[in-house]
Amino acid sequence: MNDPIFLAALALFVPIAAALFLLVAAPVRHRGAPAAGVCVTASVVALAAAVRLVFVHAAQGDARWTTTWISAAGKPIAEVGLHLDGASVSMLAVVCLVALCVQVFSVAYMHDEPPRGYGRYFSFHALFLFSMNLFVLAPNLLQAFAGWELVGLTSYLLIGFYFAKPSAAKAAVKAFWMTKLADMGFLFGLLWLFVATGSFEWTTKLAPEVAVGVTLLFFLAVVGKSAQFPLHIWLPDAMEGPTPVSALLHAATMVAAGVFLVVRADPLFAQADATREVMLWIGSFTAVFAACLALVQRDIKKVLAYSTCSQLGYMVAALGAGSAFAGYFHLGTHAFFKALLFLAAGSVIHAVHSNDLADMGGLRKKMPLTTLTFVIGALSLAGIPGFAGFFSKDLVLATLEGRANWIPWAMLMGAAFLTAFYMGRVVCMTFFGALSHKAEHAHEAPLWMSGPLLVLAVPSVGAGFLGGWLAHSLGAHYETHVGLTPIVASTMAIAGLLGSIAIYGRRRDASVAGAIERLDKASMVDRAWELGYRRALLGVSGLLGWFDRYVIDGLMNFTGYTTIEAGAAVRGAQTGRMRHYLVAVVVGAVLLALMGLL
Amino acid sequence: MNHWLSLIVAAPAIAAACLLVLKPDQKLAIRLVSLVGATVALIGSLVVAATYDRALGGFQMLESYPLVPSYGIHLKLAVDGWGVALLILTGIIIFTGVLASWSVPKRDKEFFLLLLVLVSGVFGVFVSQDLFVFFLFYEIAVLPMYLLIGIWGASHDVRAAGPFKYVWKRFAVGGKEYAAMKLTLMLLVGSAAVLVAMLMLWASPGVQTFDLQALERASFSHTTQMWAFPLLWLGFGSLAGVFPFHTWSPDGHASAPTAVSMLHAGVLMKLGAFGVMRIGMVLVPDAAATWAPIVGTVAVINILYGAFCAASQTDLKYIVAYSSVSHMGVVMLGAATMTPNGWNGAVYQMFAHGIMTGLFFALVGLVYERAHTRAIAKMGGFAHPMPVVAAFFTLACLSSLGLPGTAGFVAEFLVFVGAAQSQHWWWTIPGVLGAFVTAVYVLRACKTIFWGPVPQGEYAHLADARKTEWAAPLVLGSALVLFGFWPRFLLDSIDGASATFLQRVTTVAEVSK
Repeated sequence: MNDPIFLAALALFVPIAAALFLLVAAPVRHRGAPAAGVCVTASVVALAAAVRLVFVHAAQGDARWTTTWISAAGKPIAEVGLHLDGASVSMLAVVCLVALCVQVFSVAYMHDEPPRGYGRYFSFHALFLFSMNLFVLAPNLLQAFAGWELVGLTSYLLIGFYFAKPSAAKAAVKAFWMTKLADMGFLFGLLWLFVATGSFEWTTKLAPEVAVGVTLLFFLAVVGKSAQFPLHIWLPDAMEGPTPVSALLHAATMVAAGVFLVVRADPLFAQADATREVMLWIGSFTAVFAACLALVQRDIKKVLAYSTCSQLGYMVAALGAGSAFAGYFHLGTHAFFKALLFLAAGSVIHAVHSNDLADMGGLRKKMPLTTLTFVIGALSLAGIPGFAGFFSKDLVLATLEGRANWIPWAMLMGAAFLTAFYMGRVVCMTFFGALSHKAEHAHEAPLWMSGPLLVLAVPSVGAGFLGGWLAHSLGAHYETHVGLTPIVASTMAIAGLLGSIAIYGRRRDASVAGAIERLDKASMVDRAWELGYRRALLGVSGLLGWFDRYVIDGLMNFTGYTTIEAGAAVRGAQTGRMRHYLVAVVVGAVLLALMGLL
Repeated sequence: MNHWLSLIVAAPAIAAACLLVLKPDQKLAIRLVSLVGATVALIGSLVVAATYDRALGGFQMLESYPLVPSYGIHLKLAVDGWGVALLILTGIIIFTGVLASWSVPKRDKEFFLLLLVLVSGVFGVFVSQDLFVFFLFYEIAVLPMYLLIGIWGASHDVRAAGPFKYVWKRFAVGGKEYAAMKLTLMLLVGSAAVLVAMLMLWASPGVQTFDLQALERASFSHTTQMWAFPLLWLGFGSLAGVFPFHTWSPDGHASAPTAVSMLHAGVLMKLGAFGVMRIGMVLVPDAAATWAPIVGTVAVINILYGAFCAASQTDLKYIVAYSSVSHMGVVMLGAATMTPNGWNGAVYQMFAHGIMTGLFFALVGLVYERAHTRAIAKMGGFAHPMPVVAAFFTLACLSSLGLPGTAGFVAEFLVFVGAAQSQHWWWTIPGVLGAFVTAVYVLRACKTIFWGPVPQGEYAHLADARKTEWAAPLVLGSALVLFGFWPRFLLDSIDGASATFLQRVTTVAEVSK
């Protein structure tokens, strides 16, 4: 059990074996509960292997195994396999841990589903874990692309899980289209990289302009997957899926795949300063923009969704500033506390049967454990000193400090204030104040749900202290220090919290909220895309469809028609009368004779 | 010398001959005999694939019988790496196609007879090593379509409009007879072009043989090549749906009964592309290299134009038919790149698209049989009564849009790599865009048909796949995933053949310079 390749293979193939088993064994799937058992067992095995792998990797160092996937003219052009280094091993453990927590939580959360739906839900989860691990362990960009697209598929399937609901169906398709649009960048990047270097390796030396072009194309895919402005619009809609799905895919792991891709491909991005500059600005802008939108949402899941966009903006900005470690560190802590927040929100939604913040309030007495864990997650997200989120956010901000252009730093500081403010608002509106009508019959979640909350609460507090270890395994340098950034950041966080408590602590909703509601510009971006789809894409296709039917095919019909008409016209010459034919013969003979004479 | 190849070619034809002695009311016997013929062919294809020596490569399992020796015509059969892939494809499609047409409503005997004869022709094309015999089999494969669509097809109305509105006076556009006639005439014009090119090659000084290997060694004059290639490209290309000679395809596929659509889009269109590559590009490489920019540019038009046209359709079968036009563009693009990756991708796309579109048409047939409509606007929520059909339809959609893990991805990706490596890297842009538009129209169709509230009224009790109807989804669906995850089963042998042919193409091109 000390072979790292074997352990990684276990983490990769046990989930897909579970998914295939559930696919084939329809009776098991249709009974529901056994399917959950199969899926959770597979995840337990995967997590055990991943955790063991962390220690084995610490002792034995990096490992790699590959085999030829495609060859051309006898030479391999693409490989698949397992690549184990500090980043992939730690990411694997995070993914498996969060996935297991979410699956266990789902056992109780999805309990009211009919057995068939329940089984389907867990088979998708097993498929997701395989796809995500395929991506994380990828030895090259091609396999990463395969995993990347497959997690997109599971996202589509799980957002559309309630496929009878038209809004869910629409959201699922929209998510797939938006990410697929961005993924064209990934594909073009792969093609360009291959033409330039003959491989899909993470680390190759590129000519400067190729490096900028290729990384910009990859970054386009990141903008789609990690929901950065202006391709973020699919993520809030993705909240149509079951809440545990939002926790796993649309907060902790899948959307962070974009950030992980850049961390992985850091050697390529390091050759392209222009791309990093773009990333820095898009990341910073998204962090502020999405935080503003999170302020005004009425749906608890949408607050968290915009918050995810915003936090991913932090990570992208850090990557843009050239610190892959800072981005990755924030990815790790964010995975824990955001999954925790979503699951705790799921626990609340389960209790009050509504997503609307207006239906909540005063739940702290009814659901003490959920309240405690949600507050822990919120404090961590807000970046209150001592919690995990503080350390990683501080590192992101510290990376930006001292740059010639201080605006991104200031934008992220502003976003830190907003983050604390909107989380304070949610906590006040959900757990404090008067008990709402719908919350009267609420009660604490069962152990299957509260257990995962407690498990996730631990790293949400403590993961920050793992920074040194993580940096070591990634070969980066990390130390905490007291300076301008941590002081300003914690001031911002505390000010944001206090501000929101002052406004929302007593009253249910304030006129301030009405004022900032005008900030809701997302619908504009949304509408622009909608117009692009309906007018441009469907418009062109309607035009071409008409053109094909009535012009191109019309020409074919015209050819046939003319042939028939011409035949009908010539048919007049065949009169059947002997004298007509005789005349023709004589005229012909005379003409021939004349031709002979001349 | 073993006789697997002649067995594969003959098995369906023998089964067809056996059908002649059966009475029309022996319905089960007719089906079983057909199934046996198809199964023998499928098993034969798998055996050939298993025994084909990949390390050795080249043409194997050669069989040769003199036919008209004085004109250099021999019934010469052999298989190479491309043939292996396409034999398996044809075997799978006819096997599932027979099972999918278990419920043919009328004239069963004639239906299965024509279907089997047609498939014998297809098998023959893929293993012929003699141009004359190749052409003979090609015609055997194409002509039964006329009857299959004209008799067993379905008609629908097409509104009279546009600049050529007056042709509706003579043609019932959209009718099954119209579709059958258009398809046959357009393909026959193509055949005529091929025939001219064939005779040109035969009549070149010092050739006078139809033996493909001998023709490969012959060097044709520049003029002959420059005339022969476009004739071969457009001649075979009309069957491959090359723009603007693709318009038989939407009407033909929409009118044809299920198994016929499966075979036609799944296998017959590949004959066209195979002809362009195997005859056109390999026999007259000089001209092929000169014409390649045009071939590739028309191919990317096919990809994007087909995808956009598909996005505008409201009839389910038309959507799938236009998607074939778009995907065959990918094959032709791969061929035009004249690179190892592009050629591997082109042949792999023939395979992947054949399986995928076979699955599509099988499922569309099921939906149509139950719901009696093909207008997607009338459908909705069908996943509730028919979850199996919905699941496999989704899988076909995913392969269609080129999702990794399905055969469609491997094929499209290789073609794009080939295009990027060619002298015309810009071909990748419309190519990849086409894949995106495909994602739009297939997922929209999938959503409209299968997702949504539980259907009410006449659609409340649609039955899911039953008995023999399971065969096509199961076999074709698993093939898509299997060959998506582990392409080397086929790619290694395809690659061997592509490398050999390309070597010849490049050496001839260099010598002539």
